[in-house]
Amino acid sequence: MTLNPLNIILFGVVLLLAVGFYGLLITRNLIKIVLVLQILVKAVVLALVLAGKASGNLGLGQSIAATVIVADTIVAVVALALAVQVRRRAGTLDIARISTLQG
Amino acid sequence: MNPTLFTWMIALPLGVSPLVYLAGRLGSHKMELTNIRSWLVRGLALLTLSATWLLFILSWDKFIGSNENLQFNLESIWLRADGVSFLLAAMVLGLGTFVVLFSGPYIAGEVGEEKYYAMLLAIVGIMIGLGCARDLFNLWMWFEAMAVSSYLLVAFYREHPASLEAGMKYLVQSATGSVLVLLGIALVLGNTGTLDMDKIRLAISAASSTPLGLVLAGALFVIGFGVKVAFVPLHTWLPDAHSQAPSGISAMLSGVVIEAGLVAMLRALSTLGGFSVSWGMLLLAFGALNMFYGNLMALRQTQIKRMLAYSSLSHIGYILIGLGIALVNGSPAGAQGAAFHLFNHTIMKGLAFLAVGALMFALLDQNGIHRPLEVNDLSGAARKYPLAALALSIALLALGGLPPLAGFMSKWQIFVAGFQGSNPWLMGLVIFAALNSVLSLAYYAPVVNMLYRRNVGAVVEGGASIPLTMNIPLVILALAVVVIGLLPSLMSWLTEPAAQAFLVMFGK
Amino acid sequence: MAAILIGLVIGLPWLGAIVLWRTRDETPRLQHTLAVAFSIAAGVASLALIPFASAETVISFPMGRFFGSLTFTADGLAVTLTAIACVIGSLAVVFSVDYMRGEEQLSRYYAFVLLFIGAMTGLLLSGNLLFMFFFWEITALCSYALISFYNDDPKAVAGGIKALIITQVGGVGLLAGALTTYATLGSYQISDLLADAGKMPAGILALVAFGVLAAAAAKSAQFPFHTWLPDAMEAPTPISALIHAATMVNAGVYLLARFYPAFEHVPGWKLSVTVVGLVSALITAFMALTATDLKRALAYSTVSQLGYMVYAIGVGGVFASQFHLLSHAVFKALLFLSAGAVIHSAGTRDMLRMGALGKQMPFARNVFILGALALAGLPILNGFWSKELVLEAGLDRGPLWAYIGMLLGAGMTAFYTLRMTWLVFFGEVRESLHVHDAGKAMKVSLGLLAVGTLTTWLLAGPFGEMLHETLPFHSIHRLNLSELAHEIFTAPATYVALLVVAFGLVIFWMVRNQPTVKNEAWMDFLSRESFGFDWLNRQVAARTVQFASVLQKTQTGVLSWNVAGILGALLAVLIFLVWSVR
Repeated sequence: MTLNPLNIILFGVVLLLAVGFYGLLITRNLIKIVLVLQILVKAVVLALVLAGKASGNLGLGQSIAATVIVADTIVAVVALALAVQVRRRAGTLDIARISTLQG
Repeated sequence: MNPTLFTWMIALPLGVSPLVYLAGRLGSHKMELTNIRSWLVRGLALLTLSATWLLFILSWDKFIGSNENLQFNLESIWLRADGVSFLLAAMVLGLGTFVVLFSGPYIAGEVGEEKYYAMLLAIVGIMIGLGCARDLFNLWMWFEAMAVSSYLLVAFYREHPASLEAGMKYLVQSATGSVLVLLGIALVLGNTGTLDMDKIRLAISAASSTPLGLVLAGALFVIGFGVKVAFVPLHTWLPDAHSQAPSGISAMLSGVVIEAGLVAMLRALSTLGGFSVSWGMLLLAFGALNMFYGNLMALRQTQIKRMLAYSSLSHIGYILIGLGIALVNGSPAGAQGAAFHLFNHTIMKGLAFLAVGALMFALLDQNGIHRPLEVNDLSGAARKYPLAALALSIALLALGGLPPLAGFMSKWQIFVAGFQGSNPWLMGLVIFAALNSVLSLAYYAPVVNMLYRRNVGAVVEGGASIPLTMNIPLVILALAVVVIGLLPSLMSWLTEPAAQAFLVMFGK
Repeated sequence: MAAILIGLVIGLPWLGAIVLWRTRDETPRLQHTLAVAFSIAAGVASLALIPFASAETVISFPMGRFFGSLTFTADGLAVTLTAIACVIGSLAVVFSVDYMRGEEQLSRYYAFVLLFIGAMTGLLLSGNLLFMFFFWEITALCSYALISFYNDDPKAVAGGIKALIITQVGGVGLLAGALTTYATLGSYQISDLLADAGKMPAGILALVAFGVLAAAAAKSAQFPFHTWLPDAMEAPTPISALIHAATMVNAGVYLLARFYPAFEHVPGWKLSVTVVGLVSALITAFMALTATDLKRALAYSTVSQLGYMVYAIGVGGVFASQFHLLSHAVFKALLFLSAGAVIHSAGTRDMLRMGALGKQMPFARNVFILGALALAGLPILNGFWSKELVLEAGLDRGPLWAYIGMLLGAGMTAFYTLRMTWLVFFGEVRESLHVHDAGKAMKVSLGLLAVGTLTTWLLAGPFGEMLHETLPFHSIHRLNLSELAHEIFTAPATYVALLVVAFGLVIFWMVRNQPTVKNEAWMDFLSRESFGFDWLNRQVAARTVQFASVLQKTQTGVLSWNVAGILGALLAVLIFLVWSVR
């Protein structure tokens, strides 16, 4: 693997994904979970731009990336709203402490 | 007639949705107007859905008359309606209408009633749109929009921690899935330079070998969309979400949302059609796993909505088996059976959740109790609620695959496909599926028994009555389940084009 | 005309079921009247159908792609069994007027009885494998609903679900058979299967044949599925008489007889059928020897007699088996219903609490004795003729060891039949039960069935002739009455059999005064556990539930694990794809 710009970006994508998934596996705080999700989305955004560049269709990649940012902001907003409700009703942001549904 | 008429099926509910919200906020500081607002909101929603039905009929007419797919484009965004789109549209519209009808008394007076109907309308439009997407990114957009609206609907009872928990888990898992899908899209884009499904197909069939990136993309699509379709072991959000949502939403989630996810997955996978036998085998494996796991988990449930949620897992399993068989040996029976079972699952599971919802409404909600409905609460319910009990029994027995009910016929059609071609593995799988149906009776039948017990339980004793608007959807859906069970060819106008479109999609 | 009658025979009971479902419990008289009216109308229609018996398909209605056509064929086999189902069905309904008096939820009871009658006739008349299975499943549903009719009683609920699950598991065999037939021959028509069975590849045909055997064994409660029928005795007694003695359990035998020409050349099939019949007949007769519950004893004897019919098919005696089916349906319905009259008034099913009831209920006693004699196979009742025919077919064409086994079974049958009769109606008074004789409606049904027990053997000639005329693929060994009498009375086998029967009776007579002393422990154990199969059933159920509870732990409800599931599955799918694309 040579050190050209594309590979560096690819490395960045993989790194962000790794951080994101690892974070999802260990995080219990709802706000942090939302942050981790955002890290994952950023990895994807990077990947989309990279894919656009690699296939010679940078414009498409970039426009999609921009749309994804908007769409996932909505998800983040909904997630934060839910987190606020959880904090209000259950008094905690720890997802493990409010987990009652199982089996 | 205009071939782009079908886009209005998408635009109308989506466009009216904010109006419903606004109508529900009209003079919201005046408490005495609550009833009027409530009627206005429901009336508007119903009216919109009726108009959408009309559009559906008109565009269907066009579709069948011209015998080709309907297309629409706005700059670079393409929408296309084929048999699968129409199947999904019919399911979504049908169940959506009944849920709106049903939800009247159920949601009346709850905080955020107008949001409920606005979201419901929006999700109907979104799902119809999802079925028509022709571009991978466009598909993802619809998918994400559907996900966001369903998070809000699942967590509708925002004062109950359990609903919030279910909503939160659903959100996190779905968002993870959606990230995976986007990664897959990036891979496809990187490898082919386009996101138009047809062009991807062309690009892939021109290439001599499948790049590893596309294989990875396929895996990401299966898992990413699979979260929404509730493949085992990605299903963990489903029992929580389906049991905690308002019953009308449970019906929508189980009856159409997971199916819409499946359609999205198939659309995405079909672009990578180069190795469709592998897809077929994957679907078969997940199908067998879903069926078995769902049944065994349902066996031990005491809460009826949770039981129904697990039964959805097993029914997705049957559908996957039908699709898998169609992909493995190109059998039209498998595709048509799967399409038929998709449709039947919508009406059966919709009926089951609505009937449970009606009983829950009368037994618990009306008495101000908010807790899950247990199977034991239903003891002797048939005495007091003969109609809801009969509807629930019909739904459960149909889900269990007993004739003369709808589930029997669609399962049969899937089973036929497995035996055609005399592949011993597929035949074994079908026998396994049939034994699973028997296993499922072990948890459906006791509920039916409980309903018809002579001992009227204390909960039933204290129950309120079920309003007429809730009973109407139950009657219609129950009749549909019986009639389709007696005359299975009644639905082939819808399932046959869907099966055809499915096979065309995968290049069979 | 035949088409209209078929429509009536299936449609009338189903219409009745819908009408009765809508009736209210506050009007029991109306419910009884409607049920009797609908069932008798169906019975009349079924009798009227008999002269129209033919091998032709009379109704054909296309059901769409992959579903074939809904067809009905009223051939001799079908119309006879239809008549049995409808006539005994209406007698059971008439009996129910007394038996179910004052019960709650009559609308559910009668609706399911009528639904059952319609489904049973549909199953018999259907010329299409898919719809045969369709009706097959409805009968199972009705059987389940009626076994669990007293659904506040956990035993009834357990018995119902056991019957449902076991018959459904066997039913998968019929499903596989029907699907295989469609996949290879492109048709669900039974006549196509019978005509073209030879064209199917041997392995495929064997799959169909053994699938059908499994389904038949499960439905007819034959070994190794024999465990559900005794537990089904929690049903109201008229249901036991109708569904679990005279009609539904015969469906398995009917299936074997129906498909016999297609499968007779499948290697090992006939032998398997013979063995299934033999083993069932012997082990359940053995269990009946020690049974103390009157209905369970009758249930064991039903399985045993069905074993005779299955055995007869295994050795190629299709006519003998169907003739025995006819006789058995009549005399066993009589036995069950008269037992029902006893149970209804005594309030218990435990034979050890009965005794010397004969004086108080002479009518029930007399008809019960008539049925018992027919069951034991004593001349000149219908059971004698048909059982002799079965045994003779076995001696002529079957293996000798099987024949000797069945003879032994006949001896045991005589023993337990006499024991039952003795324990209930004769001997000493063990407990003072206040009993009264059968009611009026009961007497009507019992009387008619008693007449049937005395006379149905006279139908042997026309019955054989009709089967011969209308079953183009079967070669029926038909006899007219004088030939039958001649054959039976000149065959040494008859006297051997009668000797064995007499031997069984004598043995009981010698021990009649201590029939209640505790049985040998091992005999008790074997009977209680259905030779270990009850244990097996329980184990399967318990292990499934256990596995399910272990599996429940996988739904942890912990978000991290949920996400881990997603990532793990991604890895697995990726590995599979990379492997499969290579």
